[in-house]
Amino acid sequence: MSATPTANGSSVLSVEHLSVLAKERYLLHDVSLEFPRQSLTAVVGPSGCGKTTFVRTLNRMVEMTRGLHVEGVVNYLGQNIYDPGVNPVLVRRRIGMVFQRPTVFPMSVFENAAFGLRLVHEDEDAIDKAVTEALQRAGLWDEVKGELNRSALGLSGGQQQRLCIARALAVRPRVLLLDEPTSALDPMATQRVEATLRRLKEEIVLVLVTHNVGQAARISERVAFLHSGNLIEVGPTADILERPRDPKTQEFITGRFQ
Amino acid sequence: MATVLPEGGLAPEDVLFDRSARTRWRLGFDRYAGYLLPLLFLVAIIPIIDLVYYVGSQALPTLTYAVLTSFNYRVVDALGVPIVSTAEVMALATLFAVLLGVFGGVATAEFLSDSAAGWVRVSANMLAGTPSVVLGYFGYFTFCLYFGWGLAFIAGVLTLAFFMTPYIFRITDLAFSSIPRHIREAAYGSGTRPYQYILKVGTPIAFPQVLNGVFLAVAIGVGETAPIVLTTTGSKILPQTLFSPVTFLTALIWEDFSYPAGSPAIALAFQAAFILLVVVVGLNVLVRVISARYRKRLEGLYQ
Repeated sequence: MSATPTANGSSVLSVEHLSVLAKERYLLHDVSLEFPRQSLTAVVGPSGCGKTTFVRTLNRMVEMTRGLHVEGVVNYLGQNIYDPGVNPVLVRRRIGMVFQRPTVFPMSVFENAAFGLRLVHEDEDAIDKAVTEALQRAGLWDEVKGELNRSALGLSGGQQQRLCIARALAVRPRVLLLDEPTSALDPMATQRVEATLRRLKEEIVLVLVTHNVGQAARISERVAFLHSGNLIEVGPTADILERPRDPKTQEFITGRFQ
Repeated sequence: MATVLPEGGLAPEDVLFDRSARTRWRLGFDRYAGYLLPLLFLVAIIPIIDLVYYVGSQALPTLTYAVLTSFNYRVVDALGVPIVSTAEVMALATLFAVLLGVFGGVATAEFLSDSAAGWVRVSANMLAGTPSVVLGYFGYFTFCLYFGWGLAFIAGVLTLAFFMTPYIFRITDLAFSSIPRHIREAAYGSGTRPYQYILKVGTPIAFPQVLNGVFLAVAIGVGETAPIVLTTTGSKILPQTLFSPVTFLTALIWEDFSYPAGSPAIALAFQAAFILLVVVVGLNVLVRVISARYRKRLEGLYQ
């Protein structure tokens, strides 16, 4: 990936005074946050704190839910993705997403990985190359290279989730949003996905929603703690997890509320 | 807050702004489609509005409380007998159809093997697709002639029940089959017997849908003419026995509308038609209200 100058220095994605309202109620209130290059930021917090809503605002997936109103700015390389001239489809190609449960489509492994590329009409050779590369980056290549034409529904849950990561990576996004990607997986599969993410954060920006503090400790270098729609604190993982400044963070980390 | 787009600094694939003619056309279409759709909706409901208006304008000037409630068969302009007769026919037919449809639907969804269930569903679909006049002849030949009941109240009831059954059957079958697998397994996993599962877990989940199906079947059945006019004959009084003649509202419309224009029979036909419209619209509104109420209660079940 070529190094490209950006409008405001080192961060690819930044959020300024972001709020999400459902009618009169704030699901997310005045959140400001930066996502630097080559970083994995873990967004943690108790259930219902707005973690999922938050990542869904980062590529306008939030608009798929009716009745939500977004205020504030999400900046991608100096462009506000909520600007009226912005095409949300282009946003989602640059800011990919992986969901809680594996969401493979009922097609072959190859076609699943090529899904996003087929939408932009690339030629077969380019698709072939990109699929191989994406599967390698997702850490799935060695397991599926002999059976690319088999149905993806036959893969295990962990393999399916990495295939979803490969599908997102195939269109070469700069940012990948992961909404609790391992919550439906067993420990072994979780480990594999975490290894994949650890490698990926050298290349692109990762935003990982997780309710698992241990996972945040293992693979993130920054933690943002959300509580009832407010960003309580954000900082280097070690600082937040070992010396939280806010009592709410302290309580969450020590497991006093879930 | 407007963002300044840094021109020239971005790789082409990073540009999110899209000012191509195609996208502008799409966005424009998107905007106007929003206005177009309500307009198309209006076009679609104009025939209905026209129908209600026309029937209403013909029926309402002469429709009085006395007409609705008079059972005096010597008075031509009285709808008391047909209304109550229709209610009686519908009540019995719905009872039969619910028994057949609900039990059949539950059995198909819960107990039959996949292949047997498949055959039952195909049969039900065929029955639902059978023109009502064909079903009317089936009832005429079976009940009136073969069983020798003549043109009788009970022949009309049973024929109408057969007409309504597939609607109730299909919706019951669907309601029970679409209960999430994990709910079924959780119920059986805690040691329920099949009938306990159906009564305690399945029914609360499926009930609103089944109720909707029943109301819809009633709304469809009350507007049917052929199964009734082929198996019964009109009467000026309420049916006295199961084998009496009976006047159904649609049958009354069918017969009275053949009188010459301006005759009191035509006015009566319009009044009957107006009442039918009100009943059918009322049933449909009721269905909407019930499903909206129950949908709220079952929110979260399908997560």
